[in-house]
Amino acid sequence: MTVEVRPLGDKCNIKCRYCYQEGIRTAGNVPKRYDLDAIMATLDRLAEPFSLFGGEIMMTRRPDLERLMQLGFDRHGGVGMQTNGTLIEELDIELFRKYRVRIGISIDGPGPLNDARWAGSLPATRRATARSEAVIETLCREGMPPNVIVTLNRMNAAPARLGLLCEWIGFLGSLGVRKLRLHLLEQDETEGGEGLALTAQENLAALRQLRRLEQKLPSIQFDIFAEMAAMLRGDDARTSCVFHACDPYATRAVVGVESDGRLGNCGRTNKDGVTHLRASREAFERQLSLYRTPQDNGGCQGCRFFLACKGNCPGTAIGGDWRMRSVDCPVWFGLFEDIETELLASGETVISRSDRRPELEAKMIAAWSIGDNPALHSLLQPAEAP
Amino acid sequence: MTSAWLSWPRPPLAATPREPVVTKAAMQRISFSGPQARALWQPRLERLGATAVAIELEMVRRKQIAATLLWTAYDDIEALTERASTISLHAKPIKASLGYAADWPLEASIGEPKRLLDYAVLIGTVSLDAPMAEPAGDDPVQVAMRFGYPACCARSWADHLRRGGSDPLAAMLGREDKTGIHAHVALAVLGLGPVRHAPCSTDCSATQDRARSFLDLGRELGFVEEIGWLEEIADWPLGASLVNGIAELKTAAFRCTWLSDEGAPRARKAAPALRAERGKAVAIGLGDSDDIIAELGAGCEAVGFENAFAMRSRFSTVVWEQTAALRHAATAVHVGCGDGLLLELIAQTRPKLTLYGTEEDSALAEAARRRLGPLSRVLGGTGGEALAALAGLAPEGIDLAFVDPERLDDGEALAAIRATTRTVIVIGTDRALHRFKDMESLAASMGLVLLPGRAARVSAALSPAMDRLH
Ligand code: SF4
Ligand code: SF4
Repeated sequence: MTVEVRPLGDKCNIKCRYCYQEGIRTAGNVPKRYDLDAIMATLDRLAEPFSLFGGEIMMTRRPDLERLMQLGFDRHGGVGMQTNGTLIEELDIELFRKYRVRIGISIDGPGPLNDARWAGSLPATRRATARSEAVIETLCREGMPPNVIVTLNRMNAAPARLGLLCEWIGFLGSLGVRKLRLHLLEQDETEGGEGLALTAQENLAALRQLRRLEQKLPSIQFDIFAEMAAMLRGDDARTSCVFHACDPYATRAVVGVESDGRLGNCGRTNKDGVTHLRASREAFERQLSLYRTPQDNGGCQGCRFFLACKGNCPGTAIGGDWRMRSVDCPVWFGLFEDIETELLASGETVISRSDRRPELEAKMIAAWSIGDNPALHSLLQPAEAP
Repeated sequence: MTSAWLSWPRPPLAATPREPVVTKAAMQRISFSGPQARALWQPRLERLGATAVAIELEMVRRKQIAATLLWTAYDDIEALTERASTISLHAKPIKASLGYAADWPLEASIGEPKRLLDYAVLIGTVSLDAPMAEPAGDDPVQVAMRFGYPACCARSWADHLRRGGSDPLAAMLGREDKTGIHAHVALAVLGLGPVRHAPCSTDCSATQDRARSFLDLGRELGFVEEIGWLEEIADWPLGASLVNGIAELKTAAFRCTWLSDEGAPRARKAAPALRAERGKAVAIGLGDSDDIIAELGAGCEAVGFENAFAMRSRFSTVVWEQTAALRHAATAVHVGCGDGLLLELIAQTRPKLTLYGTEEDSALAEAARRRLGPLSRVLGGTGGEALAALAGLAPEGIDLAFVDPERLDDGEALAAIRATTRTVIVIGTDRALHRFKDMESLAASMGLVLLPGRAARVSAALSPAMDRLH
């Protein structure tokens, strides 16, 4: 489970044109105050490692931020942080070191390639981007290389720009960055986001090129490809939430600790500007429905990758309706096919082509029907192999 | 969640195995719209559930309906049976259904499988048997009426079952035209009353009459506050939909969902029209890749960088490191400014600063002018000429000079810069940092002394005592 601490909710100093939180901000549902003691009490109760998240976490008052970092350090030996990096100052670097903060910087590329992360005007956008770039270089020079989170969009991964994006990633590798997380732009978001999304074919082409880049640059790792391969092997012990039958009413893989200490859902499914609280029971209506719904109707019926993919993130569902499969289905399908072919060629077994697939699917459906969500690897254990 | 809950809809034992527990499922899947809504409505919904059970039992006791059926966990059967008998009713468990794993008592799963089940308990004024509640075992219209359906709704429900339907409420939500679906009807799935059956139409007057008697009886039994809440709910605007068999209800206070076996999956309509009315999109201009390469940074090798990304990253870091110095300056110069990237990054941070650049390479000087705009002050010619021109342009002197010492011809050049500027910031390029590893070594190799106290990873101020290269 990932615990995301969000003292200021979705409050952010920039307004990415595509941000999934824009709906919340547009609806004016951003907290102005937070109750740090309540947040810390909730974190105590959860007793799980956590990440400092937002909105933009660096808008939090520094003494409060430091208390949160210290809590993470004392209890879990460190704390994660996801930030756009634009508000990080020299003094913060020492805090990061002192409390072993693992930093993830969201940036889509250098200079103009990051223009989708809009800060109100072009100079302000470029200034913000330059600060993010500076922070990446500084952290690398300080021996604390950040993870970098890149959202693929028309500004950085349109066919004419993709080569530059790859070169930049190579440059990040030379600086010391080791891990990159790739996100696909959420297509059904704010009006401002329109026009930025790549087509499914472009997304697939971009991801395929980045995958080739990963093979050429062994020092850089994109988490997504390794996770997809792991899912095809039936090993879901360490893969991320999008592959774990996410319930948008009670996102188990991601829990938000909100400004008043209450538990919230992952914000990616909030499409109407309301941050709903978690339902008292997790359930799998979405996966049960997708499994039996024809693909023409927005389901996944008959897809051999269903056990691995499960319709992917409900926050990316077709038309913004969590009950549909991911709008990025063609991209996932294409990548799963690529990886499946390679695994088979290297003599590995994959659940998508296994004789046991029907049995595993039946077990999973039976488990979801009673509200259970077993790990795929636990279903595989009796026979040991897919 | 109360220990016993009503089935939805009456009569209870419908055609599909999941249906009996819809009420429980939907109640557990309530997700409140915020802490205030939860603080207000969670306890109210719980009390309304308990109230509905009390009203239902009283209806049976008064023989307004022949029987009712409540669901409960194994551990609560005894308490429910006792409760029924205190008001002279007979209770009998008649069916079990596998509940949800989340509700299972931890110790029960292996030793006592019966404790994993939810039980349907049939309650009447006399001891009754399961077939009277089974639509399959009797005329479904009669079964429905026995459990409180008006005749019109009983017929429509039976028709629905005959056509292979199972969840009439979900079917109603699945219709294109949802106008007129009353909040009491849609929320009936939660088993709170006052509507306790699937109405034959959205404006069925018999249904309205039954709902009214439910409310009246509630008031008579002393549930005045609870009935007031139900009346408040009646006016709630409601969003309701059925997509691929998943029903979802949305109110201002909460949303809830349940999986229905109802309805073939339908093709979805296009995204809602509302999106077109939202804030205006900012036009997205995508220059061609040559423009972008030029914008990222040109001529990087000439100014000591391996590539454009390194130059941009480094200059961004210089600006970041020198934030405080830039904040206190009014004028700055980049000596050997290349294509003007550093000056552009400074201008973005401190737009009011007066900026100058010098560049011997005429192509790069031209690129800098293009980057910085028509009012830019980029001085060409040899280093000496440019610095002389600069002194003329800024007779008061310049606050900050950014300098790559490796690009200076000799010690004289630094002296000339010092003569016109108050602080010199030394920049570490790729070339310099590869060669000297860090700023201190770079400076030392040239006999320069850096101002102590700064992080000085890629840039540092020259000590004011340093007048010239040694
Ligand atoms: S909504 Fe998407 S991103 Fe959020 S927890 Fe679920 S799968 Fe993960
Ligand atoms: S690849 Fe597409 S069809 Fe297959 S499970 Fe994923 S979303 Fe569903």
